[in-house]
Amino acid sequence: MKKQFLIACLALLSFTAIPFISQAQTIKISGEVSTPLTVDAAYLQKFTQTTVTRKDRDGKDHTYSGVILSEILKGAGVTLGPELKGENLTKYLLVEAGDGYQVIFALAELDKSFTDRTIILADKIDGAPLAPADGPYRIIVQDEKKPARCIKQVTAMQVHFVK
Amino acid sequence: MNQSKHDPLLNRLKKSRVMFLLLIFIIISGWCYIDGGIETGPYNLVYPSNFGNRIQIPADNPTTKQGVYLGRMLFYETRLSANNTISCGSCHQQDKAFTDGRAFSPGVDAVLTPRNSMSLVNLLWARKFFWDGRANGLEEQAVTPLTSPHEMGQALTVSAQKLTQTVNYPALFKLVYGDDQITGDRIVKAISQFERTLISANSRYDQYLRGAYQPTPDELKGIELFNTAPQPEKGIRGANCSHCHGGPKTYMELFHNNGLDSLPKDAGIETLTGLPADRGRFKVPTLRNIALTTPYMHDGRFKTLEEVVDHYSEHLQQSASLSSFLRGESNEAGGKSLKLLSMEKKQLIAFLNMLTDSTFITNPSFSDPHLISTKNKKH
Repeated sequence: MKKQFLIACLALLSFTAIPFISQAQTIKISGEVSTPLTVDAAYLQKFTQTTVTRKDRDGKDHTYSGVILSEILKGAGVTLGPELKGENLTKYLLVEAGDGYQVIFALAELDKSFTDRTIILADKIDGAPLAPADGPYRIIVQDEKKPARCIKQVTAMQVHFVK
Repeated sequence: MNQSKHDPLLNRLKKSRVMFLLLIFIIISGWCYIDGGIETGPYNLVYPSNFGNRIQIPADNPTTKQGVYLGRMLFYETRLSANNTISCGSCHQQDKAFTDGRAFSPGVDAVLTPRNSMSLVNLLWARKFFWDGRANGLEEQAVTPLTSPHEMGQALTVSAQKLTQTVNYPALFKLVYGDDQITGDRIVKAISQFERTLISANSRYDQYLRGAYQPTPDELKGIELFNTAPQPEKGIRGANCSHCHGGPKTYMELFHNNGLDSLPKDAGIETLTGLPADRGRFKVPTLRNIALTTPYMHDGRFKTLEEVVDHYSEHLQQSASLSSFLRGESNEAGGKSLKLLSMEKKQLIAFLNMLTDSTFITNPSFSDPHLISTKNKKH
């Protein structure tokens, strides 16, 4: 009886409640990775927080904080650091946003042994969570002149080989 | 003496021989109509280089001439609907750039679709289909209108059975797939092949981009406004439409909340993801042939291009889900919407009219083949 009631409740839930429960945005990391990941706020807290200051479209400097992108990718087993050589240099990271916008980075652009430029996955601007239309996660590319790759509302990251 | 000329038996034999030859001729020409009349081999998809080669053709459904032929027959085939009255072509009419002029379209049960019928053009480059982008590829998309109870309302297995009982279709499926088995999967694949050929690349805008048309001063100003982001502090005026409708195809496969409502009746992609950021988020459609595809928006709320431009110029509704690029995008310092001058609106619309491709909407290769064959029969 209890079991039937539970099943009935679950069935009812699946038809009614689920579409109306607000979900929290996560980021799926897949492709050429050894461990596919789903990144959420709790997962990001495990990493050292880094800040990057750059101008936004308003022309003013803002301080963004978050996690260095390559650290997150290392957690998924992406070939960075000593492994980033040979054919692995033909790999790229495809970042996708909730609005379908996509940008790519060559893996070498993200790797500390290639560049000092910091690229972070930010979740805060000037100490506050990103605005809903920009967040909860946004890539911030230090010193890049155009903000076009500072992709907002990140939903997925895929590592691929160039075909 | 030659008596054969007058031999009645011989004459009858001659007559019947003529009749026999005539019969053979009819049979052969009939056979040619089914088989020999249809070109076979790979279909050459022709498009300008500025469209780019990020085209989408699944490995298990290469585009062939015979596949496109069959797909076109099926696209206009009313037997694929539960009451034999609706085809894909009912809501996607060529003269309206493959839309139907309605806000919502009635299905076999006369119930209206929840969203506006989308134009079919340059689908070869599209990856996500429907207003909410939920279908990954044409093959996946086509199943929904065929089977939805409020659209064509017929299970694919039933459609396959109905076509199996026809005279022409089994032979056509054999020509395309190697045997005459008709399945839902094969129906959907052929329709998708035909849809991939719906390429529009000869509007006045295309002609301008290839140096074959000199736009009027209004059209040129419209192009400039379309492609320029407003910067009132620098005295630069613009409408920045190209942020989402940019490139030669005027399609970038983006999904945005474009400020139609603060509290949308149709939650759009939020219905799928449960994410508040996706509230009222819909596909940013192509602007190609936009002058022919009224009414506009996912719910067909705007009847004219003037109303659409007025929306972005004056009526953007603020909400937490409003896409960031529309926030504070204005020709007035501190403005919340574009605030275009009436002359600028006219110039923008002059440009939008450049996107009409009359060769696309009159291309005989895209028209209803059943109409042509009935016309021929009448003659």
